Amino acid sequence: MSRSALILTRLALLAMVLAAWEWLPRWAIVNAALLPPLSDVLAMFVTILGRSQVQEAVAVTAGEVVLAFMFAVPIGACVGVLVAESEYFGQIFRPMLFYVFSIPKSIFLPMFILVFGIGFAQKVAYAAFSTVFIVIMSAAAAVGSVKADHVLVARSYGATRAQVLTRVYVPSMLPFLLETLRISMIFNLTGVMIAEMYASRSGIGQLIASWGENFQMPQLFAGVMLLAAAAIAFNETVRWLEARCSTWRT
Amino acid sequence: MQHVANLSELRAKEVHAAAIEVAELSHVYLGRDGKVPALEDISLTVGAGRFVVIVGPSGCGKTSLLMMMAGLRRPTSGTILCAGRPIDVPDPDRVGVVFQEASLFPWLTALENIEFPLSIRHAPRLERRRRAEAMLNLVGLAGFGARYPHELSGGMKQRVSIARGLVQDPPVLLMDEPFAALDEQTRMTMGHELLRIWSQTNKTVVFVTHSLTEAVYLADEVLVMSPRPGRIIDRAEVTLPRPRTYEMMATDVFGRLRERIWQKIRKVT
Amino acid sequence: MRPAPATVRRLIFVLMLVLWELVPRAGLLPELFLPSLSRTLGVLMHNWAEYAHALTVTLYEVVLAMLIACGAGILIGAVIGGLSRVRQLLLPVFSSLYAVPIVILYPIFTAWLGVGSQSKIAFAGVYGFFPVMLSTAAGIQSIDQNFLVAARSMGASLPQQITRVVIPASMPTVLAGLRLGGALALIGVIVSEMLTAAAGIGYLVSKYRTVLDSPRVFAAILVILVLSVLFDALARWVERRALAWQTAGRREPGLPVEETYTGTTVPA
Repeated sequence: MSRSALILTRLALLAMVLAAWEWLPRWAIVNAALLPPLSDVLAMFVTILGRSQVQEAVAVTAGEVVLAFMFAVPIGACVGVLVAESEYFGQIFRPMLFYVFSIPKSIFLPMFILVFGIGFAQKVAYAAFSTVFIVIMSAAAAVGSVKADHVLVARSYGATRAQVLTRVYVPSMLPFLLETLRISMIFNLTGVMIAEMYASRSGIGQLIASWGENFQMPQLFAGVMLLAAAAIAFNETVRWLEARCSTWRT
Repeated sequence: MQHVANLSELRAKEVHAAAIEVAELSHVYLGRDGKVPALEDISLTVGAGRFVVIVGPSGCGKTSLLMMMAGLRRPTSGTILCAGRPIDVPDPDRVGVVFQEASLFPWLTALENIEFPLSIRHAPRLERRRRAEAMLNLVGLAGFGARYPHELSGGMKQRVSIARGLVQDPPVLLMDEPFAALDEQTRMTMGHELLRIWSQTNKTVVFVTHSLTEAVYLADEVLVMSPRPGRIIDRAEVTLPRPRTYEMMATDVFGRLRERIWQKIRKVT
Repeated sequence: MRPAPATVRRLIFVLMLVLWELVPRAGLLPELFLPSLSRTLGVLMHNWAEYAHALTVTLYEVVLAMLIACGAGILIGAVIGGLSRVRQLLLPVFSSLYAVPIVILYPIFTAWLGVGSQSKIAFAGVYGFFPVMLSTAAGIQSIDQNFLVAARSMGASLPQQITRVVIPASMPTVLAGLRLGGALALIGVIVSEMLTAAAGIGYLVSKYRTVLDSPRVFAAILVILVLSVLFDALARWVERRALAWQTAGRREPGLPVEETYTGTTVPA
């Protein structure tokens, strides 16, 4: 299939899903109270965007996301490099890190609440905590991706340590670093959402949870749509950058 | 006396009967820029029990040709007869194939890999085991049957591959650069081993390779192919006596043959 | 001579348990923040009936969610991995959707299915579905074509190619996906029980948190930790048994099967 045919088919599929979302509730094939028609949700989407309560919530959430990211990424990257560079440390901690992925990190939320209360700091701390492990893993993978041969070649031509770092490590790792950022953001956003939905007085996650509890389905769907759109937009932007940075990779 | 004469006549017939006949074979595939002729007007006959090597530069379609002889690919036009009958689909009773990289299944032991073609045909378990063990002995790997492929060296893996190709006892064995991934020493040893197995089993072998030395060392006849579109541009009969020895590589006959083939290839690339 | 990594790991583990016991006892942290290990265990034993009941609810939900995640994941993954048309069409769509934090869908599930077990099962099923589906697709797609050509040359029919080549060849990736998907189904159940529920071990965490009964909160956390350790160990054991051909004959049999990083980790 050609590229344009693919995109057309995808658009057609999307149109079918959207049409079903619009018409199934309208024709009362599904309960409109449970699945409001698309047009109602879109109208609500515009309405809630105009509300100051929602705008404040978006600002709070965005602040939490950005701050948590700024804690998690540098810390995780440093530990990740350590794990990758020292074989001994790697052998000790790698299996532990893999195991951490099977633990529901939300069980530690009560501790974060006890320490930080139910506020901005707690969301940031919990989101950073839930993100740091994946940053460690991907940073270690990024360092591991640097070919020993390339380092050897650079050294044999008399490159200094700094030159090896900037000329070999950074370009080799760049696509992986972007991948790290992208995956970490998914974890980070999830962390903030869980924390906000669990116990909070502000933020988009809290709004979504309370709309759900109060059965305000159009608002709920509009909120989910808002967050999903933001997440997908960030993800696709980084993927686009990744594709541009890795043209030399085959 | 009459009897003996008849028998030798019969023998002669058998030897000269063609194991593989390719007639006016052409192949065109659809590339990005339209139709690309890959193989053009290929006709060749491989006598039963002969060892024929096909050489040629990369992209000359020698592997494609071999895959067609195995019934794994269909040519655009032309016919391929194997033991007098057309081959359209893979038929392991007539043709065994040994591939380039060790295409052994990593989840099966050496013995289970050799048994695989038999188990596909639902051969009885004991029969399978007996024949696979016999093949393992033939290729010199007795006692290694329980090893998994990753526990075998490159040369050993290709021995298992050869055993797998022979286990159904097909008259024809097709080999697609089977030793290309091996180091030089192993490669030489494996070539020698292959000749021993060949002389013990009386198979017809069609062998594809890049290596001219390997080609001359192994072959009764070397076919030289040109690149895009692939055509047979030379046939060289190798007159060296058998059994072949490593010392023959230093002889004039060997050198001249090798040189002749190299000149042909050089001219077309 | 440095101690073996496994020894260091065990030491770290023991050290954490010792600290868990000593730090609260020494008064370095208030009991409210971290009740000592012995206290937590005592509370757990004393209220075992309550925890055991919550555990059965959680396990029931986890098992059903895993069945949904693995069943649907393998089925759809096989279709996407096996048919290149469908893969070209849908795989990019799935990897875009993967960026959405699935947890925000949970309120929709509770609105539709109520606060009982159904909403947890459905949510956790969706949660675990993605890694299973993506790694099944990757496992089938990345099969060495040489294996299939070799099988065909030996006369294998299409069903034989599937059962004798495609399934064993994709097994390592698929099993890694099942381990991940299973872990996520477990995580999904715990998260959803913590958010809105009336039963289950995650619900106990939330319930006792609101009344600041820390020992009981930590008892529930301990149960969940043990549960996820057990699941992980079980899944790895199954993988080792099923994939013995990958490691057979290698030295250091204690080492885990090489991690297949499929890039399909899902956050929690």
